[in-house]
Amino acid sequence: MLKIEDLKVGYGSIEVIHGINLEVRTGECVALIGANGAGKSSTLKAICGLVPVKSGKVTFEGRDITNLSGHAVVQAGITMCPEGRQVFPQMSTIKNLRMGAYTRRDAEQEADLDRMMDMFPILRDRAHQAAGTLSGGEQEMLAIARALMARPKLCIFDEPSLGLAPKIVAEVAATIARIKDMGKTILLVEQNSLMALRLADRAYLFEAGEIVLSGTGEELQSHPEVVKAYLGH
Amino acid sequence: MIEILQQIVNGVAIGGVYVLIALGLTTVFGILGIAHFAHGSVSMFGGYLTFFMVTAWGFPLLLAILIALIVGFLLGMLIELLAYRPVRNANHINAFIVALGLTMMVEGLNLQFFGHEQVVIPTNLARVFDIGGVTIPELRLYVIIAAALLIIAMTLFVEKTKTGQAIRAVAENRDAAILMGVNVKTIPLVVFAISTALGVCAGVMVGSLFAIAPGIGEWLVVKGFAVLILGGLGSIPGAIVGGLVLGVTEALAAGFISSAYKDVIAFVVMIAVLLLRPQGLMGKA
Ligand SMILES: Nc1ncnc2c1ncn2[C@@H]1O[C@H](COP(=O)(O)OP(=O)(O)OP(=O)(O)O)[C@@H](O)[C@H]1O
Ligand SMILES: [Mg+2]
Repeated sequence: MLKIEDLKVGYGSIEVIHGINLEVRTGECVALIGANGAGKSSTLKAICGLVPVKSGKVTFEGRDITNLSGHAVVQAGITMCPEGRQVFPQMSTIKNLRMGAYTRRDAEQEADLDRMMDMFPILRDRAHQAAGTLSGGEQEMLAIARALMARPKLCIFDEPSLGLAPKIVAEVAATIARIKDMGKTILLVEQNSLMALRLADRAYLFEAGEIVLSGTGEELQSHPEVVKAYLGH
Repeated sequence: MIEILQQIVNGVAIGGVYVLIALGLTTVFGILGIAHFAHGSVSMFGGYLTFFMVTAWGFPLLLAILIALIVGFLLGMLIELLAYRPVRNANHINAFIVALGLTMMVEGLNLQFFGHEQVVIPTNLARVFDIGGVTIPELRLYVIIAAALLIIAMTLFVEKTKTGQAIRAVAENRDAAILMGVNVKTIPLVVFAISTALGVCAGVMVGSLFAIAPGIGEWLVVKGFAVLILGGLGSIPGAIVGGLVLGVTEALAAGFISSAYKDVIAFVVMIAVLLLRPQGLMGKA
């Protein structure tokens, strides 16, 4: 579904991704793990058109989407739930959700809104509250629901568990598992490597802007280097 | 009591003009973070244009206003595209200088095209209504009604349409707006088009209620920014409340203290408000 070939990304003259190859197949959940600053977010931003691609190719459903504008990437069917949630702070929860459906013109948007609030009951309670006043966990649920409102074919999550209490992290993991069961294709970036590898069908390990290891979730969970450096036992 | 009501009505009329100017300034500031100083002069261009179409070409007033509105709409897009877009990613001082240069340019063009004489847009609205002792000239009533309708339309547009919500979204979090599928290249065009059209309406109101002359545009834009600071930068409800507060304060000051000091008094009130609420009346702390 998504294919990345020899991708290089940089900020100004500094290159931070040095030619990576990865693939996400339809219906899969693929995880990207790695240390801080390894270049996971930069890869996602390049896919979504937030930072320019230096060289290489991004293909989505057979179509070249390299360096497409951000809004066109969304129209193609890719939605990202960004690092740090990035809700619209002064808009109410419900307006944030409606923004998620910005590119849609169909008649089922209100029904989807209802579905999202069934899936995340806390959002119904907070429907008219400014999103900036929600707790971190609530904001994460909102960001996830907002991303789903676009009815994306590929859903990208950047560190959904960042800064959340263990109980909420488990809730986020359960939510992503549910989204996967809904048949969505998922690309997941996580610092919480164990959670990511348990959820993922396949995973890639990033180190300093390169992919150094890849395999199924189980394979990486038991790979000695991953265990030593990222799973800490 | 009647006298107070009378001054409030007068204040609401000019306050409505301030709101229309401030709505444009505040939405532009919200999405681009720039102080669009040329807004007053561009608005006056709309007023002059209307005057010219009515007096030189004999167009009916409403047709002239409609044409001026369309011109304002297109002119706004042109300003965004040619003046501000090139400095979009540059240091903020660049946009600041572009804004000042644009102001001088538009003032110069107004002077070239329309001369330095002050002009009044002829309306032939001479009736005066008397409502419970408060007298309202017909023209002033229409200005109030038109301003109210435009403000309501703008609010509905921002709150109820996808494009309006996208404008808010870009103002609140540009990258997140992109991830929602908002085209952040077209949104500033829309904002400048609408803002300038609202400014043209304000220009027509000033030109028919009072007069248009060189310098009026700058006077109006200073008032507009005063409203922005009073109401809260980037806030639409702030522009509405702030504009009305400023207009009414000025009218009361002029009516009961001294019309020579009305601007001074209005600024004193503004400073007092900011001492109590530094973020403005409707701004978020
Ligand atoms: N806007 C930017 N300008 C310059 N350099 C940047 C920018 N954003 C990221 N970088 C650099 O790019 C490199 C990769 O950062 P990136 O955010 O992609 O890492 P990451 O793997 O997502 O890390 P984390 O797990 O901490 O989120 C880092 O060295 C970072 O300093
Ligand atoms: Mg990151």
